[in-house]
Amino acid sequence: MNFGSKTTFIGLDTDKRKLTLSKRFVMYAYDKDTGEIFGRTPSSWAKIGLFYTAFYLSLVAMFGVVLWFFFQTLDPRTPTRQLEHSLIGTNPGLGFRPMSNETHSTLIHINSKSVQDYSVWTERLVKFLDVYKKPGLTPGRGQNIATCNYDKPPGKGKVCDIDVKAFNSCTEENRFNFHRQGPCIFLKLNKIYGWNPIFYDDPNDLPHDMPKGLKDHIKKITNPEELRTVWVSCEGETVSDKELIGPMAYWPIPGFPGYFFPFENSEGYLSPLVAIHFKSPAKSIVINILCKAWAKNIVHKKNGINRGSVHFELMMD
Amino acid sequence: MQNKERLTSAYVYGFNTHRSLTDGLLRACQRDLGHGFYIFICAKIDFDKSHLKKCLRFLHGRTDSYRVATVPSQFDDNKTVDGKPKTRRKAPSSISTKYSHAENLDELKQDPYLDYHKIPLDELYQRFGTHPGTGLTHAKARENLERDGPNTLTPPITTPEWIKFAKQIFGGFSVLLWCGALLCFLAHTAETSTTEDPNDDYFYLGVVLVAVVVITGIFSYYQQAKSSAIVDSFRNLVPQFAVVIRQGESLTLRAEDLTLGDIVELKFGDRIPADLRIIESHSFKVDNSSLTGESEPQSRSPEFTHDDPLETKNFAFSSTHAVEGTAKGVVIACGDNTVMGRIAGLASSLDSRPTPIAREIIRFVNFVNITAITIAILLFIIALMMGCYWLDAIIFMIGFLVASVPEGLLATVTVCLTLTAKRMASKNCLVKNLEAVETLGSTSTICSDKTGTLTQNRMTVAHMWFDNQIIEADTTEDQSGVQYDRSSPGFRALAKIATLCNRAEFKAGQDGVPTLKKEVNGDASESALLKCMTLALGDVMSIRRRNRKVCEIPFNSTNKYQVSIHETEDPSDSRYSRYLLVMKGAPERVLDRCSTIFIGGKEKVLDEEMREAFNNAYLELGGLGERVLGFCDMLLSPDRFPKNFLFDVDEPNFPLSGMRFVGLMSMIDPPRAAVPDAVAKCRSAGIKVIMVTGDHPITAKAIAKSVGIISEGNETVEDISHRLNIPISEVNPRDANAAVVHGSELLDLPPEVLDEILRYHKEIVFARTSPQQKLIIVEGCQRIGGVVAVTGDGVNDSPALKKADIGVAMGISGSDVSKEAADMILLDDNFASIVTGIEEGRLVFDNLKKSITYTLSSNVPQLLPFIAFIMLSIPLPIGAIAILCIDLGTDMVPAISLGYEHPESDIMKRPPRNLIRDKLVNNRLISVAFGQLGVIEAFAGFFTYFVIMAENGFMPYKLIGIRREWDSRAVNDLPDSYNQEWTYQDRKSLEYTCHTGFFIAIVVVQWANLIVCKTRRNSIAHQGMRNMALNFSLIFETILALFLCYLPGMDEALRMYPLKWTWWIPPIPFMLALFIYDEVRKFYIRRNPGGWLEKETYY
Repeated sequence: MNFGSKTTFIGLDTDKRKLTLSKRFVMYAYDKDTGEIFGRTPSSWAKIGLFYTAFYLSLVAMFGVVLWFFFQTLDPRTPTRQLEHSLIGTNPGLGFRPMSNETHSTLIHINSKSVQDYSVWTERLVKFLDVYKKPGLTPGRGQNIATCNYDKPPGKGKVCDIDVKAFNSCTEENRFNFHRQGPCIFLKLNKIYGWNPIFYDDPNDLPHDMPKGLKDHIKKITNPEELRTVWVSCEGETVSDKELIGPMAYWPIPGFPGYFFPFENSEGYLSPLVAIHFKSPAKSIVINILCKAWAKNIVHKKNGINRGSVHFELMMD
Repeated sequence: MQNKERLTSAYVYGFNTHRSLTDGLLRACQRDLGHGFYIFICAKIDFDKSHLKKCLRFLHGRTDSYRVATVPSQFDDNKTVDGKPKTRRKAPSSISTKYSHAENLDELKQDPYLDYHKIPLDELYQRFGTHPGTGLTHAKARENLERDGPNTLTPPITTPEWIKFAKQIFGGFSVLLWCGALLCFLAHTAETSTTEDPNDDYFYLGVVLVAVVVITGIFSYYQQAKSSAIVDSFRNLVPQFAVVIRQGESLTLRAEDLTLGDIVELKFGDRIPADLRIIESHSFKVDNSSLTGESEPQSRSPEFTHDDPLETKNFAFSSTHAVEGTAKGVVIACGDNTVMGRIAGLASSLDSRPTPIAREIIRFVNFVNITAITIAILLFIIALMMGCYWLDAIIFMIGFLVASVPEGLLATVTVCLTLTAKRMASKNCLVKNLEAVETLGSTSTICSDKTGTLTQNRMTVAHMWFDNQIIEADTTEDQSGVQYDRSSPGFRALAKIATLCNRAEFKAGQDGVPTLKKEVNGDASESALLKCMTLALGDVMSIRRRNRKVCEIPFNSTNKYQVSIHETEDPSDSRYSRYLLVMKGAPERVLDRCSTIFIGGKEKVLDEEMREAFNNAYLELGGLGERVLGFCDMLLSPDRFPKNFLFDVDEPNFPLSGMRFVGLMSMIDPPRAAVPDAVAKCRSAGIKVIMVTGDHPITAKAIAKSVGIISEGNETVEDISHRLNIPISEVNPRDANAAVVHGSELLDLPPEVLDEILRYHKEIVFARTSPQQKLIIVEGCQRIGGVVAVTGDGVNDSPALKKADIGVAMGISGSDVSKEAADMILLDDNFASIVTGIEEGRLVFDNLKKSITYTLSSNVPQLLPFIAFIMLSIPLPIGAIAILCIDLGTDMVPAISLGYEHPESDIMKRPPRNLIRDKLVNNRLISVAFGQLGVIEAFAGFFTYFVIMAENGFMPYKLIGIRREWDSRAVNDLPDSYNQEWTYQDRKSLEYTCHTGFFIAIVVVQWANLIVCKTRRNSIAHQGMRNMALNFSLIFETILALFLCYLPGMDEALRMYPLKWTWWIPPIPFMLALFIYDEVRKFYIRRNPGGWLEKETYY
């Protein structure tokens, strides 16, 4: 930042201006007469170097100190700002797996004829599900794990077990049905510290835009405890997508059981999953799919932007 | 023959001297004149009269000045070889377009310029449809005015408005912003073609950038227009009037309203409003010096005396002055068609080099542009090689370009300069172009005129010698000086002669005016005597009435004396009236005619002793540079000269010797009161003041000494040789600090010797110099590296004014052409105003430095986030829009307010800046702004960024390397340090909140930075917070930041999100650190002047 105190390459003395640019540069780079390298003598460089080193070191030290003070106000397991106080808000979105390895792509493109091709996707899923299968991979999950159901929510500090076998045919052994052109896609709800869903637990009071299939499912439920679920539905985004998407099945249930909430960053906590089995989607065409999570405190549209949902494209070959 | 006629017909009067030119040249003239254009062949601009005639050959437009060298020598009759007329070429220069209507030869013939001075008057009246008694009719005058336009000089052709505007929009930093906008549109197009749901952010940003460029362009353009309006307003400050006869009435009109054929009445003291042919005159004399440099007044009368209109007696030229008599004339040329108009055009074609600040700004802008583009491209490539997503890399490029441009800087500079221009106008310095303000500040040499600038331009009696002693008269402007005994017989005798032997009279109608300021008819010495006597005796006119003048021998250069004979009122002589003969003149001549001397009331024989005393007094007064007059009288014997004696002036029948010597009076044009202080101020500020005058060396030296241009104790070579009694050649010129150079020496002086004189003598006076020698002096000063300010008033000064780094014209005495050529106009003609101007100039330079430091500092916290974004792969800490909010929003008013900052205590105590080494934006400034202040600010910003991120869940270490997923729309569940998962929208809200936080952090540290930038050396405790504009800007900046941050809708419009109040705290420690650091730095600079810290950080 300091190019030398006497002259700069650009503003040379007038008598040196006559020289060619390259000669001037050489002269600037090393001046035999004064021993200056880039406009400064070595000792001058040393002094200014020392000054800036000291300056920046003290600045970094100060930065460290204030940062250290700031960290004293933080809790390692509880976020300082939560829910509406944080920018994460109170409207969790959904995540889907498998994901493309292209950064900005949400396209799941499966060539079910080529093992080599679809195994890329299955491997990603296997890797994703690994932690669900082996509690040992998640620190703290081993000792905290508990089997939960609607009647038996987890105790304080405990985390619920997720049974990978409940995904029916959507298993590794079944190659997630990728080879049968009926792929399984996994959905999960974003974790937000301290977020409690307000369930659609009255089968007679369901939002009008909820897909019919989901409404039917909810109406069939007999155990009122089981209504305490964050429901999930997937649909084609456009009218044609809705046709192309074909029948779907949700495993184990079309939703995330209420006993997983709230997420309080307990050790070993894993998000509940829903596997969606697209039984016979149209081939060789991109289908836009929008999956939504349903709870009374999940908004799906704000300022024209989809929220509380996830969008991806599916293409089968 | 026809050609010859054509040639003459196209002649502009006054320039037919080129008959002496070679035939080839004639043909060249003729060929070009065939198209109705005039060329100046003028390789060297020189306003000496003889040169003028040689030079001003009216040929073509001035763009073809050197055309003569390429003229073919064969005869060219405007026909091709086979006799067909040649095709007419296009007008070669825009200035010629005003003649283009005369393209046609026949028209030209009817345009009877050439013979106005030759034709009989009746024909002249007929041509113009005028009448010597009644003048033009109003209708005819209006018609003429509509046809020819007003009688004013067109300002030199300026660049068209749209080019000026385009320069504002495409020049300077705009280049970078255009690049940024282009990249935005590129990114937008790329995005729309690749993704289904493109977001319009890039398009939006691109539009914003274009808007920024256009708006700042319009702003700068407006500022420029405003500043030229200031200059234009100057024209109306001193309107010129002329007495015109129209429709039989005598009207006083503005000079602009004159038109061809008007009958103008002139009297002495008038400025001639247009080129005139004299039709009536009464001992009319004009001073043509502003046109030709001839200082002697020339008589003008209706007779046609010379073929050359410049020589003939019946022409008077626009912007020369009438000095004696009255006259009537017919206007034969107006405005640009006058001789003066043509010379003005010539003078304006002289190149002047760009002003220092213009050079600096060009240099700085280029530096920033080149550096920014190079670094941006380099980092772009690095980013891509590091596997960065191309869109990220483009965001980076855009951000980097936007961040590296101090968008508000150029506007700030313009505003600061305009402010100063206004402030200077209030201090009697009118600045014609903004950059001149700052140039004035870097002035290292002032070449000043003497008369009127350093002095009052008012001859005043300074000393008297009677009763064998020198008595000092009071020359001060307010007459507060020494008084003398006004009752001694010596003084009374002297006063009587001075009163009676004097033709000067006060002009009528000046009753309320103080005596010294009254206007007088008569020459300078006589009016000085008149004023002196009026102050001493009261009503001079009644004394003169009581001592009626009987006869008079006027002053002439052979006799060098003036004699008049008066009746006396002496009551003691009432029995018979005696005549009193009084004489004044060159002292030695007067003394020669005396046999006695009047001392102490007694008449003594004029012996050797008395002669010695006289000589001493004469030499002493002469040595003071004063004009000395001797006075003697004689009471004529009533026997020989009884009442009603008929005195014969032509063959004096009265004695002119054996008189009684009474005394001497000496006069000088005294220095202005404020000048010695101003000169001393210049000296302490390291500015060399050179006096350039047409006066005699002794007078020049005396004035130089009295105002301190030659300071006490400093000697010239002549002084040393005189003191040591050795020949001048033996004196080592280096021993002499001062030098008085005679103009005639200057002519034969090789440039090296002149340089040596200018370099080794601190105090220089050039005496007996002509205007073109002034040009030589200016060039010499510039050769040795000085920034030269030159004052001048005559037209012939305009080349020197143009050549100077800053030409200073005189508002009162200056000719229009000199004002046109100058960069600055002194409304009060006072040298002290120049010094005020220099102080203002230095102040604006200092303040610009401060302002630039302030503005540049905030560039670092704008740049580093982008580098961190690419290098550490963290989410972007600040966005392009937030950067624009700083540069064009919150930083703008504070940066301008620094233009109002009061000077620091050392402003006129340090030497002028060295143009080569002390740049506006120098290494030290960059070192401080970028290397120190800016980095502190960046830390403040990053700290705020980390705080906001961490409080929301992303710890700093989590952020590093997260960029790719963070910016991916596909990732809808990005985990933070608390395993919460963030959707794309929520992350972006967080990111924009961080941008806002970073923005607020910069605003907060800029508070301290603004206060710190108020001074470069002094402590803020010393400087105080008196700059109300700055205090206001602090509040304004804060309110603006609050608005941007909290106004509903800002999240959508500018991506500014409301911050929790606690996020205003993180930058505060850094704000304090910045303040303390800089105060400590300045403390050490003050403690160790010239120390390492000063060398490295005093910008």
